[in-house]
Amino acid sequence: MLTLTDLVGLLPLVIVAATAILVMLGITWQRHHSGTAALTVGGLALALMSLPLAWAVSASPPLMMLDGIALMGTVLTLASALAIAAMSPHYLTGYTGPQEEFYLLLLCAVTGALGLVASNHMAMLFISLELLSMPLYGMVAYRFRTERSLEAGIKYLVLSAAATAFLLFGMALLYARTGQLEFGALSAALTPALTGGPDPWMLGGAVLIVVGLGFKLSIMPFHLWTPDVYQGGIAPATLVLATISKLAVFLVLLRLMMVVPAFESEWLRNLISLLAFISMVGGNLLALFQLNLKRLLGYSSIAHLGYLLIAVVVEGPLSVETSGVYLFTYVVATLGAFGVIMHVSSPHHGEDAADLHHYRGLFWRSPWLAAVMTLSLLSLAGIPLTAGFIGKFYIIALGVADSRWWLVGGVVAGSAVGLFYYLRVMVTLYLPEPGSQPRESIEGRHKRVGELTLMVIAVLILLLGIYPVPMIDWMAALARAA
Amino acid sequence: MELAFYLSGLVAVLATVGVITGTSPVHSVVYLIVSLIAVALVFFALGAPFAGVLEIIIYAGAIMVLFVFVVMMLNLRADAERTPPLWRQPIYWLGPSLLALALLAALVALITAGDIEMAIDGELITARAIGLTLFGPWLMVVELSAILLLAALVTASHVGRRSDPGHSSTPRNAPNRGDTP
Repeated sequence: MLTLTDLVGLLPLVIVAATAILVMLGITWQRHHSGTAALTVGGLALALMSLPLAWAVSASPPLMMLDGIALMGTVLTLASALAIAAMSPHYLTGYTGPQEEFYLLLLCAVTGALGLVASNHMAMLFISLELLSMPLYGMVAYRFRTERSLEAGIKYLVLSAAATAFLLFGMALLYARTGQLEFGALSAALTPALTGGPDPWMLGGAVLIVVGLGFKLSIMPFHLWTPDVYQGGIAPATLVLATISKLAVFLVLLRLMMVVPAFESEWLRNLISLLAFISMVGGNLLALFQLNLKRLLGYSSIAHLGYLLIAVVVEGPLSVETSGVYLFTYVVATLGAFGVIMHVSSPHHGEDAADLHHYRGLFWRSPWLAAVMTLSLLSLAGIPLTAGFIGKFYIIALGVADSRWWLVGGVVAGSAVGLFYYLRVMVTLYLPEPGSQPRESIEGRHKRVGELTLMVIAVLILLLGIYPVPMIDWMAALARAA
Repeated sequence: MELAFYLSGLVAVLATVGVITGTSPVHSVVYLIVSLIAVALVFFALGAPFAGVLEIIIYAGAIMVLFVFVVMMLNLRADAERTPPLWRQPIYWLGPSLLALALLAALVALITAGDIEMAIDGELITARAIGLTLFGPWLMVVELSAILLLAALVTASHVGRRSDPGHSSTPRNAPNRGDTP
């Protein structure tokens, strides 16, 4: 049963869900863009502030597990959502359709992500994952009057439904063998007829689940939707896709690998190693000659998830710490890069300004934006003194410690290729300005809030790169609690 | 009971093949109804009568009626006008009818076999047990499903909107829109 203690433990989720309801009621009463955005930011901040209280009671609600991984996912999700909600108003200012629904969908997606990172049961995993994906269809297709956005939404919807079918089939296979849906109970040992070796049905179920989750993570053989959806979706929706959706699904995959006995198999680890290797090499190679910044970041996210999968392959407490550190640095850098894209594309005029030529000479127009973009790209490339270096250092250290030389080689080769295209974008920022018309900008409160958020992100990237000790200590503490 | 389970499963698979190979939407919908009823019978055979009844009421009943209405409203092409002679040809109704007859045979066999609780192999899952599970330990899942439905509704109402003042790729009306709606 769900007790009061459990509800206190779930306080962040409850607050975010309640904010979603409040936002919905507010929209039905009176549409007010600034008010809706303020309510959203307030609700997310309140949820973030309720975390110490929720963590203190050490609740264990049914079907869920509130451990270090859940706390890590909750903090990262809420912080990213807060940044997205703070930067969206300026972007949506020029959108002529209804703007308020975006915040409602964002809050629903965040609720799903919070449930997903804490799930300890297949039913919880499934419903939360759907709750995370369903608002994203609407957010990606938000600008549905333009062809690309609608195309992106439909592509994501159809392919996501196919991936969900894989996931469900995998769960059904595991259930057929064990009669259980709880993560810890999904063990082949419960079937008495088994003698030696991994059970092929259990293994098949596990592989199907990895396929289903791999689609959401856009790792290599299941990545085909990524560039189109990244390009077509409105920039804030793409940002949700790149940060909240990926980190929540990644953490649940990590938990599956750590907790579920059915995933305990060297064969499965080798398969995931292979996926990781082709993701990091393939993602970087595909990004190499992209002229569209959003597509480029989409391919680069494939490569980053490839690096991250090393933490899934390697067992042990260090893998949780590594995942935490890398996810943190990746999310911060992605928020910075997409935040600049959102800022340059604001106010909303149909298609986003994502082609590289839009960014030519950005430094001479708005040096601050160019500086934030440079920092984010340097961090994504993993240059020292930025946050990304710490993450990459952890990943390589983890791979070396477990002597996964192929994967370490993949990280090194991928990073070298990555450096080339990140630098190419950076050089574009500082080229002399072309004659083309820059977009006109609207001054106002929304713009200042967005700029302030970008500055905080940029400072965070530098700070984490120069003095990462607090973050590392925190992640190590979470890994011990996992 | 085993026979009913496997027969219904086979019917479900065949009917679903009929759904995806059918060229006419209406025929696909008819096959889909047969498939859903077959799945409902599978649930009955497994000892979950509540799930079976829900399957018939919700899917075969409510949702399929919507499907049929939508297909009938959209399918106004010229070649659909000459339907009256077509339905008399057996090829159009033979498949679904045979599958439905097989299901009926399974059902009759079940009923004539006697006490239904004796016939079911597994544990009988009643509506009460389902309700106690859903609103006991699974409460969070139910609540999250509610928000899922809300998100789906908002998505559909946003994308399905017609009265949008026009997409904003025309810059002339964009700048004069301030930050108030």
